Amino acid sequence: MKALKKVIQNLDPKFEKGGKWEKMYPLYETLSTFLFTPKHVTKKGAHIRDGVDLKRTMFMVVIAMIPALLFGIYNTGHWHYELQSYLNPEQYGAYSDYLTGFGDKVVYGLFQVLPLVIVSYGVGLAIEFIFGFVRGHGLHEGFLVSGMLIPLIMPADVPLWMVGVATAFAVVIGKEVFGGTGMNIVNIALTARAFLFFAYPTAMSGDKVWKSGTTDVIAANDGILPDGASGATALGDLASFVGDAPVVAGETIAENASSAELIQKFEGAYDPLHAIIGMIPGSVGETSMIAILLGAGLLLYTGVASWRIILSFFAGGFVFGLLMNLIGANAYMDLPAYYHLIIGGFAFGAVFMATDPVTASQTQYGKLWYGFLGGGLAVLIRVLNPAYPEGVMLAILFMNIMAPLIDHYVVQANISRRKKRFKTA
Amino acid sequence: MESTLDIFVKAIFTENMIFAYFLGMCSYLAVSKTVKTGVGLGLAVIFVLVVTVPMNYLLENYVLKEGALTWLNPEYGLSGSKTIDLSFLSFIMFIAVVASIVQLVEMLVEKFAPTLYGALGIFLPLIAVNCSILGGALFMQDRQYSTILDATSFAFGSGIGWFIAIVSLAAIREKIRYSNVPPALRGLGITFIVTGLMGIAFMSFMGVEYGKKKDSKTNTISGGAVETSQIINDIKQ
Repeated sequence: MKALKKVIQNLDPKFEKGGKWEKMYPLYETLSTFLFTPKHVTKKGAHIRDGVDLKRTMFMVVIAMIPALLFGIYNTGHWHYELQSYLNPEQYGAYSDYLTGFGDKVVYGLFQVLPLVIVSYGVGLAIEFIFGFVRGHGLHEGFLVSGMLIPLIMPADVPLWMVGVATAFAVVIGKEVFGGTGMNIVNIALTARAFLFFAYPTAMSGDKVWKSGTTDVIAANDGILPDGASGATALGDLASFVGDAPVVAGETIAENASSAELIQKFEGAYDPLHAIIGMIPGSVGETSMIAILLGAGLLLYTGVASWRIILSFFAGGFVFGLLMNLIGANAYMDLPAYYHLIIGGFAFGAVFMATDPVTASQTQYGKLWYGFLGGGLAVLIRVLNPAYPEGVMLAILFMNIMAPLIDHYVVQANISRRKKRFKTA
Repeated sequence: MESTLDIFVKAIFTENMIFAYFLGMCSYLAVSKTVKTGVGLGLAVIFVLVVTVPMNYLLENYVLKEGALTWLNPEYGLSGSKTIDLSFLSFIMFIAVVASIVQLVEMLVEKFAPTLYGALGIFLPLIAVNCSILGGALFMQDRQYSTILDATSFAFGSGIGWFIAIVSLAAIREKIRYSNVPPALRGLGITFIVTGLMGIAFMSFMGVEYGKKKDSKTNTISGGAVETSQIINDIKQ
């Protein structure tokens, strides 16, 4: 370690202003601060400097996402082989069990998920470097987190070029035009996902993308899914409750079934325990509540994420879920409120997306409002908008653009309250 | 038929004047530098819409529409022998009504409510030429609301939607005021990009089904996402 530090220190003058490789400074700065704390010192005034800079803060978030990533790799493989077991019962029949073929599942998942991570980081960092050179600033650290978030919120089967295009769009339009890390107004990863969601809806929604290899299975089975198999997510099934042909896990249910029957079927197919562990199909990293809460624990312990946002986001979702129960106009509205929190990307959004310190509200009261309304809106979109089964992404995007307004009014309220205090005193 | 409340909510979110139809963009972009002026302009738009749309509704239904002049003489009605159709006049009549009402209201407000006048200030006359106001009148004509209450709730909803849009844009612009935006994009350029990103966020309301109807009566933009994906599926097959 000491030797490495010496090498870097010796290289230092060459990259300084007037040095031989002055132009390469952003690259050098990035790599050196990745290994050691930055060498900047405070020049004026009394400041306490901490070794935890932006890069380390961001890295903490990446570490917090690792459980979700690991589980996502296994889950991708599991659902791939689960689908294969319908097509090929002799060979893969036992694979629908969770632990059978664990190694195969992990290997398959690795081959599906790692390319997503590599493409996302590759494209994003390349663009960051270009902007860094052209605009003369170091590499912005913010992409460390975005680059990991993007693969985790994609379906495992999404074509790699789409990930690349979406990442490029999000980094350039979502972030760099605003001046880079810390200046963006909407979450980068969500911008990437929303871009794909609206530009290529068939690759991002429906019932053919959530289990890896679904299209191959369909092709091998004369254009339809094998009997009993299903490619939909829990949310996709729920969205069908509102329409004419309710479906639960591939089984079509009579249209006139009562909502209690539907809910019972749904609970049978996606029982809460499996949903919390994450044994349900979905985007790569979003399924496992346990893995996400592990990450949340680390983020809260290190103080990177705001407990106010996470707590109020869950509270908002739960309260609006209860509200829907009260209205109870259709089977979807009758779904027990806690279900909203454990299926789909709700927990993932609450922990990793809504807490983005740049795009969330900055004020303490504002954070409570931001989280509560975000969680509530997510449930509202899920239940009321059949076009979008998953509402979390759009709810957080919506709250991102509302956050500055919330902050503005929190600050204004604070000012007027203090003015009043001044007058009465 | 959609209920009055449905029309109201739809006008705010799904058919937002800014993000669904891009109406009233000029003042939306020009007057959104600070939240305070944004609020002023937004209030003025709500106010003018709520006043002029019902007024134009009456004009449309009792003067301009084909056969609307039955109350003068049954012969002018749809089933009469001399049916009169004045709808070719609607553009000029609507804009004249908007302009004159705004002037009238401005005088009245100045006389009787100086504080409100001070708050709305220059925005009131400015609004007379805002596209969203004429747009509101024309949408009202196009959608043929059945009662004046529906038309008013549409106007109020559209106004609130416009208000939300401009105020949130103003807050964002205040926030990014000191951002290191590339020189070429400073000012309007970045504002357009922000508007686009806000438009993506507002997409969350597209496709919400109002009322209980299921026979996809929702035309134009609402339900766009479902329909597009269906069309894509059809093409693929």
